[in-house]
Amino acid sequence: MPKRRDILAIVLIVLPWTLLITVWHQSTIAPLLAIRKACHHLVKEIFIIPERLAVHHHRLSDDGVEGKREAGGQAQDSKEYCASDKDIVEVVRTEYVYTRPPPWSDVLPTIHIITPTYSRPVQKAELTRLANTFLHVPNLHWILVEDSQRRTPLVTRLLRETGLNYTHLNVETPRNYKLRGETRDPRIPRGTMQRNLALRWLRETFNANSSQAGIVYFADDDNTYSLELFEEMRSTRKVSVWPVAFVGGLRYESPKVNAAGKVYGWKTVFDPHRPFAIDMAGFAINLRLILFKPQAYFKLRGVKGGYQESSLLRELVTLNDLEPKAANCTKILVWHTRTEKPVLVNEGKKGFTDPNVEI
Amino acid sequence: MATRMKLKLKTVFVLYFMVSLLGLVYALMQLGQRCDCSEHDLPKDRTISRLRGELHRLQEQMKKSDATKQPQKQPAKPTVFVITPTYARLVQKAELTRLSQTFLHVPQLHWIVVEDSPHKTPLVTDLLVKSGLTYTHLYMLTAKDRKLQEGDPSWLKPRGVEQRNEGLRWLREDRRAQPGGDNQQGVVYFADDDNTYSLQIFEEMRSTQRVSVWPVGLVGGMKYERPVVEGGKVVRFHTGWRPSRPFPMDMAGFAVSLKLVLANPEACFDGEAPMGFLESSFLQGLVTMDELEPKADNCSKVLVWHTRTEKPKMKREEALQAQGLGSDRAVEV
Repeated sequence: MPKRRDILAIVLIVLPWTLLITVWHQSTIAPLLAIRKACHHLVKEIFIIPERLAVHHHRLSDDGVEGKREAGGQAQDSKEYCASDKDIVEVVRTEYVYTRPPPWSDVLPTIHIITPTYSRPVQKAELTRLANTFLHVPNLHWILVEDSQRRTPLVTRLLRETGLNYTHLNVETPRNYKLRGETRDPRIPRGTMQRNLALRWLRETFNANSSQAGIVYFADDDNTYSLELFEEMRSTRKVSVWPVAFVGGLRYESPKVNAAGKVYGWKTVFDPHRPFAIDMAGFAINLRLILFKPQAYFKLRGVKGGYQESSLLRELVTLNDLEPKAANCTKILVWHTRTEKPVLVNEGKKGFTDPNVEI
Repeated sequence: MATRMKLKLKTVFVLYFMVSLLGLVYALMQLGQRCDCSEHDLPKDRTISRLRGELHRLQEQMKKSDATKQPQKQPAKPTVFVITPTYARLVQKAELTRLSQTFLHVPQLHWIVVEDSPHKTPLVTDLLVKSGLTYTHLYMLTAKDRKLQEGDPSWLKPRGVEQRNEGLRWLREDRRAQPGGDNQQGVVYFADDDNTYSLQIFEEMRSTQRVSVWPVGLVGGMKYERPVVEGGKVVRFHTGWRPSRPFPMDMAGFAVSLKLVLANPEACFDGEAPMGFLESSFLQGLVTMDELEPKADNCSKVLVWHTRTEKPKMKREEALQAQGLGSDRAVEV
């Protein structure tokens, strides 16, 4: 009898403790569930806080419709950002006014924007409105590469006056390779040498082992970018892609995304069988990948029209590794606008206006 | 002794059991709670607390900078009322997006967007709401015979006339209702949605007393058009096209003080005016040439450009649509 009692005693002692230990192990999963809730709270905070800090007010339109922005309406977006397994995307809505770039954050990955540019009448206008866009984006580093023999004073002064964090480079495309007006020499697409120089600069400046997170994006100076685009690309792990409007003779071109969230093809009319049938403005690359593959550059010669992007991406990533952004490639966040060449007939042969005035 | 031991053992057991049970219940309760102990060391958890700290830091910085700015300038700055006519076409959203990005940098700016449409479109409505700007959304449809048809050159008929006049009408009506009446501070500027504006131009125009003028780049078939200033006054205009007009300048080259707009309730744009005389039709009733205030360093700097955006080529899209395979209309471009 004492034996049975002993056994009973031991069981009674051990049972609650085993239960306790197993339950305690289970509780390591609990924070993950709690994190989801916290994520939703955080995203809501980020949307709502700027409203409280907004200095200006909303005017009601004349038919009396309430024009006040509903912070609650933004809450439904928080589900996109808090989906399982996604890295948390911090989206700061710019609902407040400032003229200097936003304060630098130690947490956000830096977006390195590579923009090739060349001198023409609309250059200063294009760079001005591009700078006005970039001044809203936190942790932005603008790498402007001029197609010229020397850095021009126009661009130098413009960059300095914007107050942006920038790097000013230049490399001249050899004359026989330049696209001159209507005579198209199809050998080197415009901007290639400039983009390659910027890639080389990045590789020389940043150490592959450093922990500085960065994203590389190729932004031409005549396109239009929404501010949401930059926050979408910040979470790129390898290469992320999204739709671009007004390319390929369509309203927009976009990657084809399957139900599993993977890219399996390209919704384009112009040669959809290219390895990467995407425009320069339609993808962003993680800096680590650029540094990890130091031989990857845009191909200079022998590249068919429309294959320039593929010449670089082919060496970096496969179709399977692409990360679709912009709500699984269903929203347009970048437009491939082109600016008309201004008609300067009245300048005449000698030039009517004072050439010392910078335009 | 056996009973005592038995008793002792029993109580020990009971105590032990109760303690364990309590511990179990406590652990079970912990399951539903958020664990804010850092020893869990999950990367996502760390990211969240880091981001949270970051957010609070940025908030503090914002509050500090707002606090220092507010007592200084905000009440004294005259508001810039920007009237922008717009119409639906492929590049509309892109144009308005980058325009709003420029305006977002300008303090005390009120954007009056007037659509050439019989009603407010959802595209523009959503864009304005998300822009974060102070705005007024209006609409006014251009009569069919006054509207440019497909294939017409852009100079054939004046554009944006009804919309700008509607903007002026609303502004007059709205400002009359404000305290201060006709003595209010403000500047009215007509900004087309495809031009490019530097941030300095808005600061230059803020001090307008009657009508201020400055050069405009890439207009009139030249690199820039500008008023010629001598002795601080405008004496003539440097333009390549019809310089004999009363005010041979572009819509983007002048701003009118709110006081003047309110004091002249009949002044508006005349749609019947001959080509190039649209600006003159408005300014003639308001001011004379020697009353013009030159800005932009005595009209020697170009701070606004009359850029125009190409119409995107839609050949393939049209071909697809003929086959019934056009791109998804639900996706807003």
